[in-house]
Amino acid sequence: MSGRQREQPLRGRLTGLALIAPALVLLGAIYLWPMLGLGRMAFNETGSTGAMAPALSLATFRSLFEDPFTLETTWNSVWLSFVATLLALVLAYPLALFLHRTQSRFRSLLTVLAVAPMLVSGVVRVFGWLALLGDRGLINAALMGSGLTAQPTRLVYNYFGVTLGLAESLMPYMILALLAGFGRLDRACEEAAATLGAPPWRVFLRVTLPLTVPAIVLGFLLCFVLAMSAYITPKLLGGGRVFLLATEIFDHAITNANWPAAAALALYTLVLVLLLVAAYAALTRRAEA
Amino acid sequence: MEQPLAARNHQCALTRRMSHLTLNRLSKRYGETVAVADVSLSVARGESVALLGPSGCGKTTTLRMIAGLIQPSAGAIEVLGVDVTQVPAHRRNMGYVFQSYALFPHMSVAANVGFGLDERGVGRSERDRRVAAALSQVRLEGLSARKPRELSGGQQQRVALARALVIEPDVLLLDESLSNLDARLRDAMRLEIRDLQRSLGITTLFVTHDQTEALTLCDRIAVMHAGRVEQIADPVTIYERPASRFVAEFVGRSVVLPVERSEAGLVLGGRPVRTAHPVPESRALELFLRPQRIALAGPETEAGAHNRLGGVVRSHVFVGDRLEVLVDTQAGRVTVETSGAGAVAQPGDAVSLIWSPSDTLVFARAAP
Amino acid sequence: MQSIPPLSSRLSRRRFLAASSALALSGPAFAQNASVSGQITLMAYAGIFQDNYIRTVVEPFQRAFPNVKVNYTAGGTSAQMLGTIRAQKADPQVDIVIFDVSTSGIGNAEGLFSRITPEEAPSLAELYPEARAVGGPFGPAVTYDHLVLVFDRQNLTPPLTKLADLWRPDLRGLLAISAPPNIQGLAMTAMVTKMAGGDHVRSIDPGISKLRELAPSIQTYDPNPDGYTLILNGIVRVATGWNARAQLYSDETNGRLGVVLPPEGSVFQINTINIPEGAKNRAAAVAFVNYALSRAAQKAFTERMFYAPTNAQADVAPAALARTAASAENRARMIPVDWAEIAKVRDQWNNRWRREIISAR
Repeated sequence: MSGRQREQPLRGRLTGLALIAPALVLLGAIYLWPMLGLGRMAFNETGSTGAMAPALSLATFRSLFEDPFTLETTWNSVWLSFVATLLALVLAYPLALFLHRTQSRFRSLLTVLAVAPMLVSGVVRVFGWLALLGDRGLINAALMGSGLTAQPTRLVYNYFGVTLGLAESLMPYMILALLAGFGRLDRACEEAAATLGAPPWRVFLRVTLPLTVPAIVLGFLLCFVLAMSAYITPKLLGGGRVFLLATEIFDHAITNANWPAAAALALYTLVLVLLLVAAYAALTRRAEA
Repeated sequence: MEQPLAARNHQCALTRRMSHLTLNRLSKRYGETVAVADVSLSVARGESVALLGPSGCGKTTTLRMIAGLIQPSAGAIEVLGVDVTQVPAHRRNMGYVFQSYALFPHMSVAANVGFGLDERGVGRSERDRRVAAALSQVRLEGLSARKPRELSGGQQQRVALARALVIEPDVLLLDESLSNLDARLRDAMRLEIRDLQRSLGITTLFVTHDQTEALTLCDRIAVMHAGRVEQIADPVTIYERPASRFVAEFVGRSVVLPVERSEAGLVLGGRPVRTAHPVPESRALELFLRPQRIALAGPETEAGAHNRLGGVVRSHVFVGDRLEVLVDTQAGRVTVETSGAGAVAQPGDAVSLIWSPSDTLVFARAAP
Repeated sequence: MQSIPPLSSRLSRRRFLAASSALALSGPAFAQNASVSGQITLMAYAGIFQDNYIRTVVEPFQRAFPNVKVNYTAGGTSAQMLGTIRAQKADPQVDIVIFDVSTSGIGNAEGLFSRITPEEAPSLAELYPEARAVGGPFGPAVTYDHLVLVFDRQNLTPPLTKLADLWRPDLRGLLAISAPPNIQGLAMTAMVTKMAGGDHVRSIDPGISKLRELAPSIQTYDPNPDGYTLILNGIVRVATGWNARAQLYSDETNGRLGVVLPPEGSVFQINTINIPEGAKNRAAAVAFVNYALSRAAQKAFTERMFYAPTNAQADVAPAALARTAASAENRARMIPVDWAEIAKVRDQWNNRWRREIISAR
């Protein structure tokens, strides 16, 4: 591979560069430039009354790292994202496998249906969850109506509700990522396993699952990053009880007008996610080797 | 099949569960489409049978039904006299070698070969011993730790074969197993598979669209066409006495010439022609000849009891192992195959084509 | 801070017409200002605030100043509006902004707003002293509002009458209480501290421990879209709210939404009106500020939306005034809160809520 790259003529490389140039420019404009602004903002100072003063100060970072709540929020974010992503994976995997395999002529339609929630505003879906999980929602009505419980069970406005809502919102992305990765799943391998005497569940464990590991790795990564940055679902389903990095950044920026704190926390989150992704990549690469 | 006694003892030791496979009016329909229609076939213990036909003729579907990968629409499959039609694939004990090999890419060669033994609960030491034996059978000793992607196509093919054989299957099923190899490797593997199959005495079904493969590998050939079996016979019969126009066309090269029926008999290019075989009732007829069964002779050669057709040499085509001579005749252009040795008629020469009535086959003309 | 209200304004057309015809009479007083012209952009809250402010203040102003065109732009939350002003510091696109005093104070300290003097805006001289003092030399208070408790009058018996009623056992799980950093939560902290016999300037300990007891009753600390909607949808029975909107929704729902100004005391929410430094059309902006603070505009907006006037001389109808914090009786219940001081302890209060109240079971 590297040998071929070395042989690649200069002109070919220039053509390649020219082809990705628009994307690079766009990325620079919509990502890099604001990121630099964010980086600069984090070093400004905030006075005791909330007034922001241009400065080159580490004060915001210092108070960020001195606040034990930062660690707590970090843990909340990572753990909740992990659980929600895992839940989305467990729920999406059978669906994606079915969509991958089905010979039905409605396959495209079914795939569109599976990812259709993406077409609906997150806010609308959240209110759907509230109608289902609320104190007067469908589930509590059923529980109390059947006499199983006397008081409403708190299913929402807490970590449970946010995890569930987040997992649901991640599912379409997980399904798409899995479907993309399932391209490497060779039906003949599963059939070979069957002819060699493996019953269906053994085929799944020994062949299907290992062969779809790259898809799982990809889907998990994508959804975890999405979960870490999710804001609307935790905000609306959290009931003010769920404290995550994304909601903290929002509160700093939009409620408190404390931009340096928001910027510092955003940078901290970015670095955290990058580190987690790098660790994840290293881990999966080692596992593959 | 006659085999030396020693070889037979050997094969009995290796394959305790040799079997006998019967297909009884096996059919498969997909909605309105008939993929396989009423295929009946009986395979003797240790016999190797080829399912030969063009793509889409239903041969792979038949094989997959035997393996249990597809449920038949009708008919039955029996192994050793036991109906296995409703038995799921994993309890059929069939060795299946896939066209793509379908090796498990995440497992080593040894793990691939040992897969079926694991599923049968074979203990570790026993498994390792049998895996090693199977790998040495296919001459892959020393590669057991490799991953499939690190092997050549031929090596992958051998792993697939070892994996299917190590479970001591009742029937070995090979699905176009040589089609992914290059021509030279294919010839070598063909012989290797044949030797292995013979020495193990394992009942084998080959699916192939390659007539050479079918003719060289198998005791019998079932030629399939549009979901049906057109003819089941040994290779020589299939080649020399094709039962249908389709078989004649599909297997081997043919010269096809229009032939007319007159009160006196058949007329080819204005001359009477004889056949030793029955002639169909149909009005429109065609005459089939094998190009290598036609002799080239001088223009005035007397044919005697043989058939003769005069013509002029148009051109030569040298194909390496043979020379094809194109001759224009009253009945049409005829390709004659000769060894190319000795004096050969030159373009423009007048020649006679001479062949035996027993090599003369007449079929109804295909509908236009 | 005001969130976007989900209910559309359906106030009776008649009252609106009465209010605007009253304004038309006072129109000629501004006629000499025909020299002021051009476009100005006013940024303030969206929803019913926007609808009513345009009808009672912006449109009469445009009739008095026929050469000025006012563009009303909804700026989101107060902090978002501050963000817009910050971002446009080099090239302001907004001429006037109306938003919460806690954020305008930040803007004043950052030098984002210009000074306004009584010489250029005579209405300033008519304001309550504290309404001018709140902005210092910069934009003064333009509306007063205060924290109220809203409840479901249809489904709550006996009805809510005081702050202490929140601790009623029958309200378990039925409260929507906005927690800090929402300023409703900050106001609640001061109110409950006072109720518990403390003073938030010295220590909020009494309030925090009292609120901790309330935790099991609270269904959500972050009602979305707001407490009024959750009550009307039957999800909670009681919520915190702002008087002006609560009064309006109460009228719209024919009284289903009950509004209680807690006898234990409440806290003012103050909106200021500011002109960004370097505003493109300062002359017209000053004219608008002067009009917005005038007796006529203050009277019209109060009678329309129950924000208490900041102009001491506004002649508001007694019926409307009684429903604001401006009536003498209500004014006496107000707890003095210096929002500039609260800004300094906000993060600390926020953390105490999280650790001691929200995490309590």
